[in-house]
Amino acid sequence: MPRVFITGLGFITSIGNDAVDVTRSLRELRHGFVLYPPFQKPEIPVKVAAPVREFATDSNDCEDWTFPARYSVKREVLRGLAPHGLYAWCAMQQAIEDARLSEADVSNAQTGLYAASGGSPQLMGYMLNRMHSLGVMRCSPLGIVASIAGTVQFNLVAHFKIKGSSCGFASACASSSHALGFALDDLVLGRQKRMFVVGAEDGNVDAILPFAGMRALSLQTDPNLASRPFDIARDGFVGTGGGVVLVLETEDEVARRGVTPYCEVLGWGQASDGHNVAISHPEGTGLRAAMENALRATGTAPEEVDYVNAHATSTPIGDVSEAKALKAIFKTPAARPAISSTKSLTGHGLSLAGAMESGFCALAIRDGFMPGSAHITRLDPECEGLNIIRSTLRAQPHLVLNNVSGFGGANVSLVFKKAG
Amino acid sequence: MPEAVQLNLGTNKPFVIPGKPFAPEDESALREALKRCSPSTFEAAVQFRKTGNPEHLPAVVIGVIERFVEPDLRMKLKDADDDLRLIEDLGIDSLTMMEIVILVEDVLQMSINNDELRNLRTVGDVKTFIDCKVRGLALPKPTKFLPIEQIAAVMPIQPPFLFLNEASVSSNGANGKFKITGQEFFLQGHFKDNPVMPASIMLEALGQLAVLYLLEGASTEPGKVISPNTIFFTGCEGVRAHRVCRPGDILTLSIKPKRMKMPLATFEGAIRVGQEKAAIAEEITMTFGFAEATSEPVPASSPAAKVNGADGAHAPTPLRAAVNT
Repeated sequence: MPRVFITGLGFITSIGNDAVDVTRSLRELRHGFVLYPPFQKPEIPVKVAAPVREFATDSNDCEDWTFPARYSVKREVLRGLAPHGLYAWCAMQQAIEDARLSEADVSNAQTGLYAASGGSPQLMGYMLNRMHSLGVMRCSPLGIVASIAGTVQFNLVAHFKIKGSSCGFASACASSSHALGFALDDLVLGRQKRMFVVGAEDGNVDAILPFAGMRALSLQTDPNLASRPFDIARDGFVGTGGGVVLVLETEDEVARRGVTPYCEVLGWGQASDGHNVAISHPEGTGLRAAMENALRATGTAPEEVDYVNAHATSTPIGDVSEAKALKAIFKTPAARPAISSTKSLTGHGLSLAGAMESGFCALAIRDGFMPGSAHITRLDPECEGLNIIRSTLRAQPHLVLNNVSGFGGANVSLVFKKAG
Repeated sequence: MPEAVQLNLGTNKPFVIPGKPFAPEDESALREALKRCSPSTFEAAVQFRKTGNPEHLPAVVIGVIERFVEPDLRMKLKDADDDLRLIEDLGIDSLTMMEIVILVEDVLQMSINNDELRNLRTVGDVKTFIDCKVRGLALPKPTKFLPIEQIAAVMPIQPPFLFLNEASVSSNGANGKFKITGQEFFLQGHFKDNPVMPASIMLEALGQLAVLYLLEGASTEPGKVISPNTIFFTGCEGVRAHRVCRPGDILTLSIKPKRMKMPLATFEGAIRVGQEKAAIAEEITMTFGFAEATSEPVPASSPAAKVNGADGAHAPTPLRAAVNT
């Protein structure tokens, strides 16, 4: 079975719009939170968000949008994109350049693309409003492809002329980890030689605020305190958006092209809670099983794991549930890896989370560091006994786990390994 | 806005300026809708909405098209003639066409049906189309392209006496082509050891094109259809031959209706070979008569499909080109 490596990354995130900025933010624990202007209204109790910088995509009219000058996007492309479609498009450009892929490398039958996003609630709402107020025939002709879940792969596959496998994944916050896992399987099974994996979210008013109804969002007004996974005073997650692209290639392609990979994608596992539509199992049974499956599939002993990038979103129930799952896997103090949640810096990117944090793991392995879990003032006693690092460690992780959990109790655990 | 939605010009009712005068809020909505168009486009739209004067329409329509054309192609619109093609020359795809339509509908307060759009190929088609809609005139029939099989299926004249290889027919006239292969029966004795197409046959070919126009292009009263069995030659005026046509020549034929009043239709006709004038006829006149049309629906490819169309009745057909779900 061929080994699979990450050879390219692209980032449009709240903590940086390229790998250099993102790495610095992770090392120095610079967060992306602000008092988000659209939330500063008396009727909105949520105040903090982690918006993408250097992009203005609030308008429903894509021709009003502004974005960094290094990207040139034609109107005929832009009109089919949601805000997160634009982020993904830019991240895709970066990833292609980063992996040094030629046009022929991108567009061939052996190269595919898997993507995940929740669609664009903003554009969907705008389109439906227009339909009801102006008439059915006045909907923008590309309103559907810009707004429904799947918009990311529709657009990227068409515009980058992808010829191999393509589809989207919809398991909410687990989506882009599912995309990565199944992309790995396709490469291991010899179906494809190269896969782009994309996670993206709008991260704007309409994408974030509906979570307030389920009391999942932090009501903190201090951007430095709002996202604090594993802290006793955590009160919900902070929303973010962006787009992240990973390039996965088989060892043959890596050798043929003579590129230096970030790390190896060793394997993955998934399992479901079978418990509640929106709440994690209190004992973290599904996530525990997902980690067990990932370790078994890769022949890894728990004590070999150096670092875990936790799902922990800063919600009271979710973080404890994951802590219990981690304790069940890493039983003895000696076996306990460094653990952090980089959502303490970025906020929670929903469908973006798995791809974004897998990208962070790839950076950490290549550059030899483990990002700290920021903003912990008092550790939740339920998390005691775990090696939750509060500052960045300058040490080389060799084996890294990335966890995600999504609605419906879907859990995915991915295993990355230092190449070589 | 509700008036606008109800004002469905697909039925070719005369355009009526809504009873409400053009209010300041209408002007600001119009300004917002046309914010990416040139100031003259906005000005023309305001004038049209205030006065209903169709003279302002070309500026509005061209201004809206310009707004959706990639900047590097916009120059083409500056001194465009009506033959400028939307897809080939301006890079407008079917989705952009929909965007143009939606904005035009919004600005001119009209509704445009999907199946009316499919026939708009050039800037001139678009201008004519909008003009007809606003004036409440019947929409011109789209140009039909007929290969030899279809010509033979429609015509009362059959090979070897059919002198058209292909033809296109619109409400304004018809064009056709005929290649002299050298195998034609009439060349056997015309002339001895010197094959030349007889001028009388060239005139016959023009007459055949006029017959095809009567059957496929001419507007008739609703429910009436011209019977192929009623068309006969009655006379011609001003026929001149300018060029000897031989095997290998491709004749390009064209006819235009000059007068048409039951039972007579008069056409002017011309034949060219390449850029060279080969023959002209100032007038070719035919007699024709109606057959009662069947009331049963017929497929569009059938010759009897011309029953529909002239009265502006359009079956609502979804736009298929753009959609791939």
